[in-house]
Amino acid sequence: MKKAIFVAIVVLFGLNAMAQFKTGTLQAAGLTCAMCTKAINETLKELRFVQSVKADIKNSQFVIQFKEGVNVDPDALKEAVEDAGFSVAKLKLALSFDNVQVNNDSHIKIGGKTYHFLDTNSQLLNGERTITFVDKNFVLAKEFKKYAAKTQMACVQTGKAESCCTKEGINENARIYHVTI
Amino acid sequence: MNKIITAIAILCIGFAKANAQPTIGQQAFEIILPDAKGHSQKLSDHKGKIVLIDFWASWCGPCRRANPGLAELYSKYKDKGFEIFGVSIDDEKSAWKKAVTADRISWKQVNAKGGWDAPVALQWKLEQIPTSFLLDQDGKVVVVDPSQKEIENYLKTVLK
Repeated sequence: MKKAIFVAIVVLFGLNAMAQFKTGTLQAAGLTCAMCTKAINETLKELRFVQSVKADIKNSQFVIQFKEGVNVDPDALKEAVEDAGFSVAKLKLALSFDNVQVNNDSHIKIGGKTYHFLDTNSQLLNGERTITFVDKNFVLAKEFKKYAAKTQMACVQTGKAESCCTKEGINENARIYHVTI
Repeated sequence: MNKIITAIAILCIGFAKANAQPTIGQQAFEIILPDAKGHSQKLSDHKGKIVLIDFWASWCGPCRRANPGLAELYSKYKDKGFEIFGVSIDDEKSAWKKAVTADRISWKQVNAKGGWDAPVALQWKLEQIPTSFLLDQDGKVVVVDPSQKEIENYLKTVLK
């Protein structure tokens, strides 16, 4: 009996755990070299969920470590980059999946966030995988156009759920992250 | 009342000036930092020479691309009284040393551990790298962020 209760608790914990991003890479674009600028380092480090920011010269990107147990907000990351005078060219976050089935061009809730996978083969995700954000202003304009064309749903333009999504259990205007893997 | 306001205003301006980055005509702040072997190197030891202070880091692309140009200037003028005092804000010593070797840096190199928050970076108010200061033989700033041409022109004029 004890064992059964213990197992039940562990399973419940597993289901409710807010799957968090552990690390991420961010490429910033602007008039000057983003990694060479103090401002962007500061704005990124000031985010409450950021543990550390390192420059990866080989790939021209920032490697970000997130704090354990703190919710990572991709929109806050984008704002921090923009506050420093740059824009996000590419944001990739690593997430641990535990047998999650993702289907192309459909909404899915993972770890407290709603995602809309685009240009992705329907697949079962396991272990640590990297997702690329393709929302407006998370990729260069040309890239965004390409991904926006991969769906008929209006949410890709706004990053928010339309009223039609309420039938899926998603509130209207809820944030939907458009991503690809 | 007015006297007090004036006094405070003067103090504020004085404070701001003292805490600003050295500008043309001003004496460069002293820099004392360890080299690759861990020995303390002083900027002031090079008075009498024209010195280029070069703030950079191994992870700064434009900084790395500027090194061959600096190497050219160094080999041409080092025996005539020119020194380059390279200050890297690399937090990882190994990355710094690797870059020094890869870029064949033969001029003075010191490491200010701590990245943007290294004491020297804060003192010199570094906002971007590369940032460089060309100093005259007395250690006074003559140009901030000189181009390679500007450095060469100055060297040609002063070091006959």
